[in-house]
Amino acid sequence: MNRSPLPEVTSGTPVRPAARVRHYLPFATAGLQSLLQYRSSFVTTGITAAAGAAVSVFLWRAVYAGSPPGGGPGGFTAGSITTYLLMAQILQILHANRVDDEVAAEVYRGDVAVMLVRPVSYPVVRFFACLPVVAANAVLVGVPVLGLFTLLVPLTVPRPADVLLFLVSAVLSVLLAFLVNLLTGMTGFVTTNTWGVRMVKQSVVAFFAGQLVPLALMPGPLRALASALPFQGMVDAPLALLLGRYDGVADVAGVLARQLGWVAGLTVLSAVLWRAALSRLEVLGG
Amino acid sequence: MTRALWRHVRLAFFLGGVGLHRLSAYRVDFVLGAGAFLIRVGLQTAVVGLVFRQIPVLGGWSYHEVLFLLGFSLLPRGLDHLFTDQLWELGRKLVQRGEFHRYLIRPVNPLFSLLSERFFHPDALGELAVGTFLVIWSGSSIGLDLTPLQWAVAPLLVLCGALIHTSVKLLFASLSFWTVTSLPSMYAANQVSEFAAYPLDIYHSSLRALLTWVLPFAFTSYVPCVYLLTGAAGLVVWLPVVTAGALALALAVWRRGVNAYEMTGS
Repeated sequence: MNRSPLPEVTSGTPVRPAARVRHYLPFATAGLQSLLQYRSSFVTTGITAAAGAAVSVFLWRAVYAGSPPGGGPGGFTAGSITTYLLMAQILQILHANRVDDEVAAEVYRGDVAVMLVRPVSYPVVRFFACLPVVAANAVLVGVPVLGLFTLLVPLTVPRPADVLLFLVSAVLSVLLAFLVNLLTGMTGFVTTNTWGVRMVKQSVVAFFAGQLVPLALMPGPLRALASALPFQGMVDAPLALLLGRYDGVADVAGVLARQLGWVAGLTVLSAVLWRAALSRLEVLGG
Repeated sequence: MTRALWRHVRLAFFLGGVGLHRLSAYRVDFVLGAGAFLIRVGLQTAVVGLVFRQIPVLGGWSYHEVLFLLGFSLLPRGLDHLFTDQLWELGRKLVQRGEFHRYLIRPVNPLFSLLSERFFHPDALGELAVGTFLVIWSGSSIGLDLTPLQWAVAPLLVLCGALIHTSVKLLFASLSFWTVTSLPSMYAANQVSEFAAYPLDIYHSSLRALLTWVLPFAFTSYVPCVYLLTGAAGLVVWLPVVTAGALALALAVWRRGVNAYEMTGS
């Protein structure tokens, strides 16, 4: 066992990726432990999510109440629009990884300085720490909310192949959500009102990801704008695959490739901005 | 009694002024906070617009009527937000970090002391501006012509609605005296209040009952708007009763909570 406190920095040979991941695993388990301290919060988070889903489900079911069974506006039926909006809310639960919150708070309080003296990359630490949050939200909030709505409203049952495609796409959407939240949290370097920034992020993402209105129901120019933004890959893309709203293999590959492209692009962007932010960071001593 | 009240009013004005000063010190923050609401409500309006691209009438309400309702719902919400958002801090951390005692040792009412720490949340000005704009614009598009009585009652409707919002917030924030932090339940209550931005007619009857008699957000927007738009009294006569009841319940819970408060030893 190397007793040096900075094994990665001091050793001349590059560290294998597997060994590197091992350095970060404790952050994931620590995140899980602190999360389970407040178990009752999952119940209230579930109520919040169910209420959020119910608002848009009721709103759009009123629109599709009189539509023909073959499909109303945008090719949706009452059943498939309900499935879309409910699953959009479930995805949003998976995207609520608190990274924006915690990065902004640590930058604001200067706690980020403590992280910087450790031989680990802060954004990567945040990524591993948010994994248990996402997993716990999926199991303890997402599944019960989905179960509740299955009992209350008629939903469409997707094909098994589409479910698999959806799962792949949902993983990419979780990565996108992490990167978007990381970038949002980093605004803490330039403003103290990260609350306002986070609220703008939340509204803009919810709208342009297609969480409140499917992109198919937006007028042409607005749909073009939404498709050009990375947020489309967070809700609209996975749900297009889940509901079978695609033409053949090429279309599926295109959807997934665009998500991957945005993941890569935002990773580079946040790495560049992170370096730039560190060079101008000042933390007052305490 | 009157002297104590007078002193609180003078203090409130003074501290409100301090809040305004803070506005000029953190200009970018103000623009961000108020702008955040502009964007949020702008996008919410866009959702209503997109709904009405598909259908002419939603639950018996026309496009401009729904926008009127959406705009009106922001007025009590904004007014409440302007003065009482310090309650979020109570639910979030004041009990958890053992910081609440400092409100108990000041020579003013503890609730006043807590709220006065930040008496003027300029973020709410964005909400109020959009709400006012939507109400005036959609009201004139409908050709709304209020009677003198409706004009006289309208400010009271906004005030009562704000007090209902405050009551619900105070009730859930006070739960933190027992549960240490009550932020998740405050979020849940806040999310439920979003139902009030749309006509209640589109919801299931059990949800309507919940919004009318349990968490009475219907009285902050739907009920007053039905009265202003149609002139039919309906449920609006219950508004003072509901407001008083909600406020009394919230204050009772708050008082019990303050008495139950034990400071953490750290």
